[in-house]
Amino acid sequence: MLIRKLFRTAWSYKAQFISMIIMITLGMGIFLGFNMEWRTIEVDTGNFFRDTNYADYRLYSEKGFTSDDLQKIAAIDGVDKATRYLTVNLDIKGEKNKALALDVSEDFNVSTFLVTDGAGYDANSDGFWLSDKFAAANDYTVGDTLTLEFQGVALSGDIVGLIKSGEHMICVADKNQLMPDYNTFGFAYITPKKLKSAVEAKMKDTAAEELKKTGIPDEFIDDSLSKLLFTDKDIDKVLDQVYAQINLISDMEKGALEDAVKERLGRTIMVTPKDDHVVYQEAMGEAEEGKTMGSVLPVLFLAIAILTMVTTMHRIATKEKLQIGTLKALGFKNRRILRHYTSYGLFIGLVGTGIGALLGLGICKLVMSKNGMMGTYFDMPDWSAAVPTFCYPVMAGTVILLTLISFLSVRQQLKGTAADALRPYSPKKMRKMLLERFPFWDKMKFGTKWNLRDLSRHKSRSAMTLFGIVGCMILMVGGLGMRDTMAGFLDLLDSDISNYTTKVNLVDNAEKKDALKLADEIGGDWESLSGISLDGDTVSLDVIHNPNNMLNVIDEDKKRIELSDEGVYLCLRLKDKAKIGDTITFSRYGSSDTYTAKVIGYNRAIMTESVTMTDTFADKLGIDYTLTAIYTDKSADEISSSELIAGKQDKAQLMETFNSFVQIMDSMVVILVVAAVILGIVVLYNLGIMSYVERSRELATLKVLGFRNRSIGRLLISQNIWLTVIGVIIGLPAGVGVLQWLLAALAGEYEMKLMLGGLTYAVSILLTFGVSLLVGLMVARKNKKIDMVEALKGAE
Amino acid sequence: MAIVQFENVTKAYISGDHELKALNDVSFTLDEGKFVVILGPSGAGKSTLLNMLGGLDSPSEGTITVGGRDISTLSDNELADYRAATVGFVFQFYNLIPTLTVYENVELVSEISKDALDAKQMVAEVGLSDHLHNFPSELSGGEQQRISIARALAKNPKILLCDEPTGALDSETGVMVLKLLLRMAQNYGKTIVIVTHNQSIAKMADVVIRVKNGKIRSIEEQADPMSADEVEW
Repeated sequence: MLIRKLFRTAWSYKAQFISMIIMITLGMGIFLGFNMEWRTIEVDTGNFFRDTNYADYRLYSEKGFTSDDLQKIAAIDGVDKATRYLTVNLDIKGEKNKALALDVSEDFNVSTFLVTDGAGYDANSDGFWLSDKFAAANDYTVGDTLTLEFQGVALSGDIVGLIKSGEHMICVADKNQLMPDYNTFGFAYITPKKLKSAVEAKMKDTAAEELKKTGIPDEFIDDSLSKLLFTDKDIDKVLDQVYAQINLISDMEKGALEDAVKERLGRTIMVTPKDDHVVYQEAMGEAEEGKTMGSVLPVLFLAIAILTMVTTMHRIATKEKLQIGTLKALGFKNRRILRHYTSYGLFIGLVGTGIGALLGLGICKLVMSKNGMMGTYFDMPDWSAAVPTFCYPVMAGTVILLTLISFLSVRQQLKGTAADALRPYSPKKMRKMLLERFPFWDKMKFGTKWNLRDLSRHKSRSAMTLFGIVGCMILMVGGLGMRDTMAGFLDLLDSDISNYTTKVNLVDNAEKKDALKLADEIGGDWESLSGISLDGDTVSLDVIHNPNNMLNVIDEDKKRIELSDEGVYLCLRLKDKAKIGDTITFSRYGSSDTYTAKVIGYNRAIMTESVTMTDTFADKLGIDYTLTAIYTDKSADEISSSELIAGKQDKAQLMETFNSFVQIMDSMVVILVVAAVILGIVVLYNLGIMSYVERSRELATLKVLGFRNRSIGRLLISQNIWLTVIGVIIGLPAGVGVLQWLLAALAGEYEMKLMLGGLTYAVSILLTFGVSLLVGLMVARKNKKIDMVEALKGAE
Repeated sequence: MAIVQFENVTKAYISGDHELKALNDVSFTLDEGKFVVILGPSGAGKSTLLNMLGGLDSPSEGTITVGGRDISTLSDNELADYRAATVGFVFQFYNLIPTLTVYENVELVSEISKDALDAKQMVAEVGLSDHLHNFPSELSGGEQQRISIARALAKNPKILLCDEPTGALDSETGVMVLKLLLRMAQNYGKTIVIVTHNQSIAKMADVVIRVKNGKIRSIEEQADPMSADEVEW
């Protein structure tokens, strides 16, 4: 019978029950959704990395690695597997602006791929294994022929399989590209055998050129003649230079590995752990972002949900006081009554958590699925949904907490005798507020006094309402501000830093003098990026030559810095390392030489943590650098191909990839803002109804006295509006604070500076007020239906 | 001169399948300045009658004219204006606003009534000047009812409507409140209508209307009503 009463009571308090369930659902859904997202990234990418033998370390050497080097490194205790590896960006012949990262793994046990269509890996194959996503975007199928331009010679073959690879799970041309764009860039694998034949072909070409120079007529020069000029050993020597990378699988610490490598090879080698590899770094960065997001906003939701529950449950229990008294008087034991009312919380907890889990799964899938937001970012075969272990106790804890809340609320009403319980609930006695001591109090209108006293009389209800509005505001400012910040970041990159039309990436082993000559021909600015060790941290050394304003170095105020030749500039994230005027000491990878330079300024480097200097200053220090990229205002078509050029990137195209990143961001922002609006509506409506019910007698009295519906409605709305004003005043800086905290927590990858547009402020404030006004009107409308006669019956 | 006129007033409520007539074809007139008691057992329809007269409810059939104006077909807003200008209510359970002080509860009506009386003076007249800044919860029942009378009269209405005004009070306090009501009504020249099931109060009235089962049983004019002190409580 009491079960029947549970459902009937739930129905009679349907607004409260539904809003509590919505709040718990929303809180739990967002909490689970955000946390499942990062956990799923960890689990799915982890599985994929394992299945494709993703390398733990990458060793780089500009001079390349010999087979002998590889053997020495493979023999290190703690290195499980090692392979010489090549990955190089190459243009596709006959296609405009399409390039592939061509990978070769000498030992196909490290940095491998999964085949989704066609043939599996075969070390004797002459074909290409092509990224299935690139193939789909560009209408390639198994059996088609592909021709790449490799160091001036054509590298041709059939596509034998379509694949996915951990090494290219986030398929970007370089660190500057935020989002993959499979229309223009993909990846492919060939066998070491095919690489060797390509190198041989290139050597034959060179030999033929040499022979031509000696005056031998063309008709006598053929492959067999050219082949006489070099031996297989010569080919191997060239290959030793081509394999600029060793990938290995090992659990060793970075320092220990570095030492062991140095000991075996007798030279310092740049050892980069997977954490520095763009794919792993970005994937884990996403997971970390998820964790950070998951630790703030959803917790806020859950907290608001639980607090709303506390207030609402307490109100329901006090409203049920008479019923409780009746049950008691009928002879029901306290324990039975407690169990009955406690089941309300259990019911709400179970239903809310259950639907919340489904919502969480939905949110997780919205982000982490083949067609979800991350589907365009990660290229991996399996998409699951993983729940972090701590979520289970949180779910169970929430249900228990909700049950406990109703238990405690009811226990309070059960104290004393049945007669006590049968006496109606009497609200707290009125006390004078602090405000009333001021002379202006007497001048206030009755409505103002009424509302102020009501707020102070029902402090927990007012505080909850305020909390809801502040939460709503934080979510909006946080969500929209994130977008603003991202837009500001891109704007900075697009208009303040980058003035070029095309970025020409140079090959790793480009000779400095050839590269400088090419830069002269093309025109524009150039830079040399390389790894250095500064106080034990790996940062970039950015040697810049930018008299043509194609690539700007900017200060904190986004102004171009005219670089001085007297010292170095630290990016703002390295500000703690040295003051202006101090000197820093750094060493380059692959060399034991150290350099000391004076810090003469700070700059905003948004992509990498870097030490910046001019080429003149680098020359002064005696640093041996090679050019990595040229920035020119020529279009890609105007730049003729050269073996020095690894690839050309159109700035507009680059910015386009950023835009798809912004689109992902937009979807997240939409989720947050929608959630904020729902949160605001539910919290305010629930509390608004509570306030209305509690004051229904007073409202009826006002009606009887002759107040019109409209003026009573205005009274009700004005209380909401005041709370909204206060909520906005608190919520706005709180939102900015939360955003700032989030940005600081997410700052690892990019230097993001908090930027908030006027529109964000306006939209957040207007939406919050809109929600408050809407709810106010919804509640005020109820006032029309108030039954004066009914409301005034019985004692207060 | 008649200030109130009920003509064939019926008020029916639909309860489930059947229609319940709380008032059934009721007609009567009341003269200005009189002290009228509507007497009857509970469920007789006397509160319904009072609610109709007070503009809290509208009749299903018939017309109610107050001060020459038909109030039976007024809109919500017109009814609110009517309540603000024409009638003052005193309830069994006072219905003061708990979050307003004594003074503010009385002063409140100045926001809706064009010729409201001075709140302080009204509080003084009911003898509670010392409690001007107390909240209702700090007063006794009798004191709260006196404030409720002050509030009803502060609007300066034509008619004072009282629904069991002594129902929640002990007899001594009840007599005091009744005396106050009468004195104030006389001082300010108001028509006063009290709904009660207390036969004793009826002895003080100029006119006694007895109601039973939604119909008027009798209307009796008392040429020589007793004073509160003469009545045996």
